[in-house]
Amino acid sequence: MTATLSAGATPIMDRLISRTVQKHRPLSVHFDLTYRCNERCVHCYLDHDDHGELTTAECLKVLDDLATSGALFLTFSGGEIFLRPDLYEILAAARRLHFDISLKTNALLVTPERAARLREFGVRRVQISVYSDIPAVHDAITKVPGSLQRTLAAIPILLEHGLQVKLACPLMQENLLAYRGVMALAEKLGVPYILDLTITPMLDGSGGPLAHRASVSSLLPVLQDPLLHACKPQPSAQTTSAMNALPPALEGAVSSGIESRAYEDLPCSAGHNSCYISPYGDVFPCVQLPQAAGNLRREKFEDIWYHAPQLERLRAIRESQLPICSRCEIRSYCERCPGLALMEGGDLLGAYERACALAEEKARLAGVAVPISALHREREAAPFQTIPEAEFAFLAADSSSD
Amino acid sequence: MITPAAVFWQKNPALAWREIDDETIIISPNDSVMHELNDTGRFLWKNIDGTKSAAELARLLVENYEVTPDIALFDAQALLEEMSSRKLVVTVPATRGISP
Repeated sequence: MTATLSAGATPIMDRLISRTVQKHRPLSVHFDLTYRCNERCVHCYLDHDDHGELTTAECLKVLDDLATSGALFLTFSGGEIFLRPDLYEILAAARRLHFDISLKTNALLVTPERAARLREFGVRRVQISVYSDIPAVHDAITKVPGSLQRTLAAIPILLEHGLQVKLACPLMQENLLAYRGVMALAEKLGVPYILDLTITPMLDGSGGPLAHRASVSSLLPVLQDPLLHACKPQPSAQTTSAMNALPPALEGAVSSGIESRAYEDLPCSAGHNSCYISPYGDVFPCVQLPQAAGNLRREKFEDIWYHAPQLERLRAIRESQLPICSRCEIRSYCERCPGLALMEGGDLLGAYERACALAEEKARLAGVAVPISALHREREAAPFQTIPEAEFAFLAADSSSD
Repeated sequence: MITPAAVFWQKNPALAWREIDDETIIISPNDSVMHELNDTGRFLWKNIDGTKSAAELARLLVENYEVTPDIALFDAQALLEEMSSRKLVVTVPATRGISP
C-alpha cells in the first residue's frame, strides 16, 4: 500500500473529462448571475433588464446543489457580475463549497479592495473582454467612453492581488484588425488571451448581433496570419496551468475552453459534462444552446441534469450520425456548434452556412484543392431543395423559462 | 520527518477540490496545478479534517486496510509531507482542531 498524489496538467484533465463525459457528471458550470450590464456592447446577445434574477438565497441553494452533484469548475459571468450587490456572499459560498472559481467581467468596477476580496474568496482566474488596444475602437463597441482605459487599469490590480487574468477578444466587423494589438497587449501584460470569431444571435433567436459579424471573406487575413498559427498565446507561467489546456487562440475560438479526445464523436461538452445556468435559474446545455432543460426554482439540479428529456436527447447525438455533416469531406476543418446550428440553421443536427464557409476557407488554407462542404455539395446537386426548418420553433417554445 | 503527535492536519482552505465518483481532484489556485489521489490517498484526504494527527490518520489506515502500523505511519507521513510541500494541507496545533 502506498498513498500517492499525482500532479500535472493535461493527463489528469483528460482523464477527468473522459470520466465525466462517459458518466455525464456536471464537471463544469457557467452561471450568469445577472444580465444587467454597465456596457452596451454592440454584439451582445443578452437583453440587460432584470426579469427576476435568482435571489441570494436561491443562488446559494443552486451552489449547494451543484456541489452535491460533483460540479468542480464554476464560472460566474453576466451581464456584469459586479452589479450583483451580493457577489461576495455568493463567492464566499462557492469558496466554502470548494469550487474552482473563475469570473468573466468587463473589469470597469475593479478596485484594489474588490480585487482583494476576489482573492480572499479563492477566485482563481478572471477573464476580461478587451476588443482592441485602441480606445476609440474598444469604446465604440462597448458604447462607454473611457471603458478601455478603465478596463486596462484593472488588469495590473488583479495581477498584483495574485489573480490570473485572461483577455478575451471577440472579433467582429468593428475590431477585426485589432487582434494583433490585443495579442501585443496580452504579451506586454504577461497574460494569456483568446480570440473568438463567434458572434451569436440573441438568446431569443433574433439576429441583431449578427449584423456585426465579420464576413468569412473578411476573416481570411486573420485565418492566414502566420503569427496566430506560430504563436504561443500564453507565454507566462500560466502556460503550465492545469486548467489552461487551451489550444492556440484561433483553434479555441468556438471551443468550450476545454479540449479533449473524450469529445470524439460528440459535438461538444454541452450537456455531457457542462451546462449553463441563467440568472433566472434556467438550466441550458450551453449559453449558446437556448434549449432550457428545467428551472432551478422548481426543480433540483440533479433532477434536471439526469432526467430532462432535452439533455437526454442532446446526449444521444453523435457527429458520425449527423445527417449532413457526417458525410462532409472537410469535417476535420469544421468547428460546428450545435447551438449555432439550431439558432442559425434551425436544426440542432443540421449544417449551417457560417460553419461550412469557415471550414471551406480553413481547408483551402491547409492546401485542400477544392474544398466543398457537404451542405454546399448537396445544394449544388439539388439547388431547389428545401432546407428543413426543423425544430427551432418547438425548441424556442420549450425553452420558455418562467 | 514530521513529528506525528505534534500537530493536526487540515486541508488547505484555499483549495478547490471535489470527489467525483471514486476520484478526488484537487486544484491549488496559486499555481493552478491539478492533483489526483490514489485510493489510500483519497481515504486519508477524507479524514484530514483538522482534528487528527499523522498517527491518528495512520491508525485509520490500519483499521481499514491490510497494513502494518509501521507501514501505515510511514505512508501517512510521506503523503502528508508531500501534500504539505505542495500546500495542499496545513497544520494546526494539536491542542485546537479546526473543522474542515
